[in-house]
Amino acid sequence: MFFRYLLILVIFLPIKTLALIEVDITRGNLSPLPIAVSPLSVDDESKSNLNKILKSEDIGSDISIVIENNLKTSGLFNPLNKNAFLQKPDIAHLKPRFEDWALIKAQALITGKVTLVDEKLRVEFRLWDVLAAKEMMALAFTTVPKNWRRVGHIITDKAYERLTGEKGYFDTRIIYVAEEGKKTNRVKKLAIMDQDGFNTKYLTLGNELVLTPRFNPANQMVTYLSYFRNLPRVYLLDIETGVQEVVGDFPGMTFAPRFSPDGKKIIMSFAMDGNSEIYTMDLENRVVEKITNHPSIDTSPSFSPNGKYICFNSDRSGYQQIYVMKSDGSNVKRISFGKGIYGTPVWSPRGDLIAFTKMHKGKFYIGVMRTDGSGERLLTENYYQEAPSWSPNGRVLIFYRETKTDEKGEGFSAKLWSIDLTGYNERLVKTETDASDPSWSSLLSN
Amino acid sequence: MIRNIAISSTFHLLIILIASMSLPFLLKKPIDLPPIISIELIQITDKTNIPFAPKAKKIIEKVKKKEKLVSEQAPPKIVKKEKPEAVPLPDEKIEKVQKLEDKKQNPEKIDNEVKQVSEFEKEELFDPNSIAALIDKSKEEAAETKLKTDKITQDQDKSAEMTGLSLSEEDALKAQIFGCWSIPLGLPYNENLLVRIKLKLKPDGSVIKSEILDHARMNKPGQGFYKVLAESALRAIKLCQPLRVPTTGYERWKDLQLNFDAREMLEG
Amino acid sequence: MDLGKIFKNTFLVILTCLLLSACATQKKVSTGQMQGDVYTGTDTVEYLASGVPDRVFFATNESVLTTASRDTLRKQAAWMRKNSELTFVIEGHADERGTREYNLALGERRANAAKDYLMTYGVSASRLQVISYGKERPVDSGSNPLAWSKNRRSVTVKAN
Repeated sequence: MFFRYLLILVIFLPIKTLALIEVDITRGNLSPLPIAVSPLSVDDESKSNLNKILKSEDIGSDISIVIENNLKTSGLFNPLNKNAFLQKPDIAHLKPRFEDWALIKAQALITGKVTLVDEKLRVEFRLWDVLAAKEMMALAFTTVPKNWRRVGHIITDKAYERLTGEKGYFDTRIIYVAEEGKKTNRVKKLAIMDQDGFNTKYLTLGNELVLTPRFNPANQMVTYLSYFRNLPRVYLLDIETGVQEVVGDFPGMTFAPRFSPDGKKIIMSFAMDGNSEIYTMDLENRVVEKITNHPSIDTSPSFSPNGKYICFNSDRSGYQQIYVMKSDGSNVKRISFGKGIYGTPVWSPRGDLIAFTKMHKGKFYIGVMRTDGSGERLLTENYYQEAPSWSPNGRVLIFYRETKTDEKGEGFSAKLWSIDLTGYNERLVKTETDASDPSWSSLLSN
Repeated sequence: MIRNIAISSTFHLLIILIASMSLPFLLKKPIDLPPIISIELIQITDKTNIPFAPKAKKIIEKVKKKEKLVSEQAPPKIVKKEKPEAVPLPDEKIEKVQKLEDKKQNPEKIDNEVKQVSEFEKEELFDPNSIAALIDKSKEEAAETKLKTDKITQDQDKSAEMTGLSLSEEDALKAQIFGCWSIPLGLPYNENLLVRIKLKLKPDGSVIKSEILDHARMNKPGQGFYKVLAESALRAIKLCQPLRVPTTGYERWKDLQLNFDAREMLEG
Repeated sequence: MDLGKIFKNTFLVILTCLLLSACATQKKVSTGQMQGDVYTGTDTVEYLASGVPDRVFFATNESVLTTASRDTLRKQAAWMRKNSELTFVIEGHADERGTREYNLALGERRANAAKDYLMTYGVSASRLQVISYGKERPVDSGSNPLAWSKNRRSVTVKAN
């Protein structure tokens, strides 16, 4: 009898455990995560001292606004209205009352504290999981006070990474060409600004035409095309020292420069007798190598992040198309086969995608495809737009867009825009002047 | 003769007509139709609660056709406020790691701020994340005792099928959690990012215990994405409490496993 | 039968005509200032000397010289041979409907097409310098086919 019961037990036990109900959750909200960014608390003494140095009423609040704007721009977060906050910044930073924050539907909370120590700005910040009622991260930064905006950017990067699982892109800069004047005779200068449009600085005076600036991986050098003395050549500018030099000694126009991922080479086009070929120049030993050899236009080269491949633009098929080759120039393969023509390929920092400009039936598109040319996706369409550049985490593309002029030829403008890889979250990037040819730096701090 | 002319001119006219109508057409480029967007129709049983996913790129929903038993859904209950757990105060752990002197900067031509010198030092203050913290054990014991008292009621349901939730019951629960789960959008969709969470539930649908089944993965290096996803899933469960469970058959669903899989949403 | 033959021939002629006209109607109609999409007007043209236009125009994405362009360049070459002390810069330009970098290469190709032609007519290469401006220096700021056609050009400029 006993054994019979045991038997029944043995038979039914596994069945019972197997019968655990499983429910597959395959959908969720793609709406931005509600997050509260509490103003950073500042003690009175630091406040008055910082007030003198930075002419800011409340630096804690200012930093929190930087963070808020960054999070909002990312499209992944919904910073909540500060008026609804119930807890004071200093207390929230010590011990948030999570039910208060949950009440206003916040799922995450950022708090912080600013002090001035020995003329240095010290900023603490904490990221809280409101629903789990726990701290997710806590960091402190020390820097010179005038770097306060960067503190905001770095805090955003850290919070972004902790909450989304990928690196941020907020403590970065954008180098671009600032434009002014009539369309027929634009004055162009190199300009650099923070990713959010602040701290713009001009690197050239606008006496000569400058185009297509690009950062090196360490963000200290820029390579670009300058028409200095009416000789269009690729230049190298050290933004720390301001020293400029011509790259290589070519008997004709060099253009479309970019750095290799290790920063040691510049890859560019050299045009001679109506034929453009791709060359590299080693910046240490100045050795020049010819990579392509074809009587067509070969331009807009861009290295893969591992440096093993180059994607470029060629019209060897009759029209502009995108090609990929090994970095020594062998194994040239066309990868763009859709309708229309393709230009400006740029390899993503993650290595899996190539962004491009596509022209078809009088429209310009920014799109991405896999590196073998499959999976083409067009993200945005417009009258004229081109030259995408990747954010360092490979999630956002920045590019420029020019407007169609009216019948009188008036109303021309050029602006920077950004869009997510998903095709959502298209945004105008604020610049002081008209702007084109953006290039996104890598993260300034890691 | 006249007959020949007549025949000839008729044919000529005919050919001219055909030529003038068809030749330009032949020269036209093929019409460029926009790519066909295929829309998958989702079959839904009458009373399902699944909302259409917002902004989702490509959602393929396979609904098994099945006989559906209509069951009343428990009305969403008001979330009981729980006392916040004690939060460790980490201030004393904050340390500044390194100060940075102003580097001597080039005075001419380029503004200091343009320089990209790393003028920052930062340091992680401590590692606040332990797996234990993620597993909510707070109410486990209390609930265990409650379970026993519920035993009697379960027996009535024993006769009902033991094989799981009915389709509409499952849909009700899914719909609720879909609404609570904010998917972290930065995740790479090509990785294996299935998060399985085992729940112990009270009869009213509130959660006694939640446990991540592969929690060893949480703190492995290089699994940052997994951790982010797991945390978001736990947040979703917290936000959804009490879960919209059937009013009957507690025994069936007191242990429940939720498999969070964001791939469908992230792909595209 | 003779008449039959005549009819047959007439029919063939008509058919050929129709075929050709069918082709023609598919191309862009010349608007007086454009043939195909090559600019043929003189609004923007300046003169190096009396009867010597300074520029030639190109079709979209092309660097092939048209008959009119070759005619202009022959005039330039003749005038250059007479004024052997002068040197020149040939500026290649593109319209705004292309990516910047490709347009730079295209402008260079156009300028070189003009240069090569001048050289075959006896102008020494040492007197001819080439520069490409891509789409950077349009003459017409309009956003329409006529404006673009004016901007697809190669301009010969006196350098000294």
